[in-house]
Amino acid sequence: MAIPVIKNYINGEWVQSGSTTLGDVWCPATGEKIANVPYSTKEEVDQAVQAARAAFGEWRATPPLSRARYLFRLKELFENSFEDISRTLVREMGKAIDEARGEVRRMIENVEHATGVTTLMTGYCLEDIAKDIDCYAERQPMGVFAAIAPFNFPAMVPWWFLPYAVVAGNTFIVKPSEQVPMTQTRIFEVMQEAGFPPGVVNMVHGSKDVVNALLDHPDIEGISFVGSTPTAKYIYKKCGETGKRVQALGGAKNAIVVMPDANLEKGMPSLITSFYGCSGQRCLSGSILLPVGEIGKELREKFATAAAALKVGDGLDEKTQMGPVVSAQHKKRVLGYIEHGIEEEAKLILDGRTIKVPENPNGFYIGPTIFDQVKPSMTIAREEIFGPVVSIIHAKDLDDAIKIINARGFANAACLYTNSGPVVREFKYRVKPSMIGVNIGIAAPMSFFPFGGAGDSMFGDVKGHGREIFHFFTDAKVVITRWI
Amino acid sequence: MELKNFGSILNFAAELEAGDEAFYRCVAQNPACVLYKDIFEELVKEHKQNEQKILRIRRENVTEMMLEPIKDFGRTPFMMENGDAGRMDFESVLETARKLEIRSEHYYREAAEKVKALPEVGGELRRIGKKHVIHREKLPNL
Repeated sequence: MAIPVIKNYINGEWVQSGSTTLGDVWCPATGEKIANVPYSTKEEVDQAVQAARAAFGEWRATPPLSRARYLFRLKELFENSFEDISRTLVREMGKAIDEARGEVRRMIENVEHATGVTTLMTGYCLEDIAKDIDCYAERQPMGVFAAIAPFNFPAMVPWWFLPYAVVAGNTFIVKPSEQVPMTQTRIFEVMQEAGFPPGVVNMVHGSKDVVNALLDHPDIEGISFVGSTPTAKYIYKKCGETGKRVQALGGAKNAIVVMPDANLEKGMPSLITSFYGCSGQRCLSGSILLPVGEIGKELREKFATAAAALKVGDGLDEKTQMGPVVSAQHKKRVLGYIEHGIEEEAKLILDGRTIKVPENPNGFYIGPTIFDQVKPSMTIAREEIFGPVVSIIHAKDLDDAIKIINARGFANAACLYTNSGPVVREFKYRVKPSMIGVNIGIAAPMSFFPFGGAGDSMFGDVKGHGREIFHFFTDAKVVITRWI
Repeated sequence: MELKNFGSILNFAAELEAGDEAFYRCVAQNPACVLYKDIFEELVKEHKQNEQKILRIRRENVTEMMLEPIKDFGRTPFMMENGDAGRMDFESVLETARKLEIRSEHYYREAAEKVKALPEVGGELRRIGKKHVIHREKLPNL
């Protein structure tokens, strides 16, 4: 069977890129190549921008409720294609099928939340700010926005931004990760039936050249990005230079603190999900397990037992609890970190390097891995691994744990397992990370709350989704009137 | 085979409903059951509705926070051979139908306990389980 070449979606049409540079798209479960993705050109980016720009005038003049109705239709279309999108996602990204369904659910939640535009985008006014003078502030769409998406949530992340931008009256361009272009392509195929006017939503595939073309384009008002911290910093800097709005969500090194009074039996399932869900490839994954005081030994033993029992395999198999990592290259990178841990004399108590998945010997599998006796200065404790590798750092007390957390540049999420209210209050008051979980291993805000960290995990002032997202995609226009 | 996660519990529930629907569809066509064809066709519809409801529950309630693995729950105790529903005599049809409904009610009761982290889902599963009790009561007495 011929390997398909993914197409771009520009101005309401599927367009084959003219680029001769193609990237490979792999099935992580089997190690087979399943598609080619074009590395589109600067000219093709410009075509998408011009199409979006041309569509803006009429779209922004469409009443917000009418714009919201496109999203209502879209929600039903996504529900009807829910399983198809989920399975496409698993095939190219590798996560377990339930994880993919959860991701698609979150994608749809953002569409649902954005339909509240008629309330969420309202302004405010005040009569008689001076004699015969009234003043009002309203939110106006600005033009063309773009999202640059990561590999780990190929369905959801572009939809942290697109529905809000578009329902606010802007037009939009998505650049999916070149590692996982098929999911968003399937989503756009479904979206076509919603009947958006041509040019309102566009998609251009590619790599660094496409990213730079978007960053440099003078007709793009703002960029939303999710990915690694070095790239987030780069994008934040470039947008500053080119006068664009930017929200750039970067990497993480999340700690999960377990206090002596934590209920380990009830908490263990969510702890395991936190560290090994999506094979550790998420910015909310636990990476450092921080037992405080005497609970360390019991926690280590129970955690290691639960981790060793995880079923690793093809994400499309309902029995699988942890899928492969996304690529051969990423597998090599994660294995490199395991080597670092051994070299730096952390104690390897569960070794995921030796995992075998007999049904799929060529898949990109790494089994659950645990290091104990890790010191905060070690590489595996400081750097983002983005794989199923846990570092256990033992803390003396809560104060010690908070200092370890705050010493990191990353400040995305932090979680705490305890039954003590005062401990929770002190923790959330003092830790720098912005997304906090209490007896929850993945502190994932739902679409109506903001998503984003602090420090080296977030560059820009407005986080993903939530109420404030409309501020990112609109200008606050103040009108002062006097009628004499 | 173990049912280790939320999705697999609901998938199996959907399979059970689809299997029961197929059973009643055959029974409705069975000449030995012609007097009660309407009742069996009603049961076909209800099992179809249950299946759709379960798939909707699976779509709407699988969220990132709730991917916690489930232990000590498997398919085997709930697997049943339905036999050739199109050729059974009426007594055998009734006996098989009763066993199917008891099996399903038992499954939903246990499944609801396993998904305690999602009380609204547990509630829906218990309600579907109660419907199977009502189905059993609809079956005509000899």
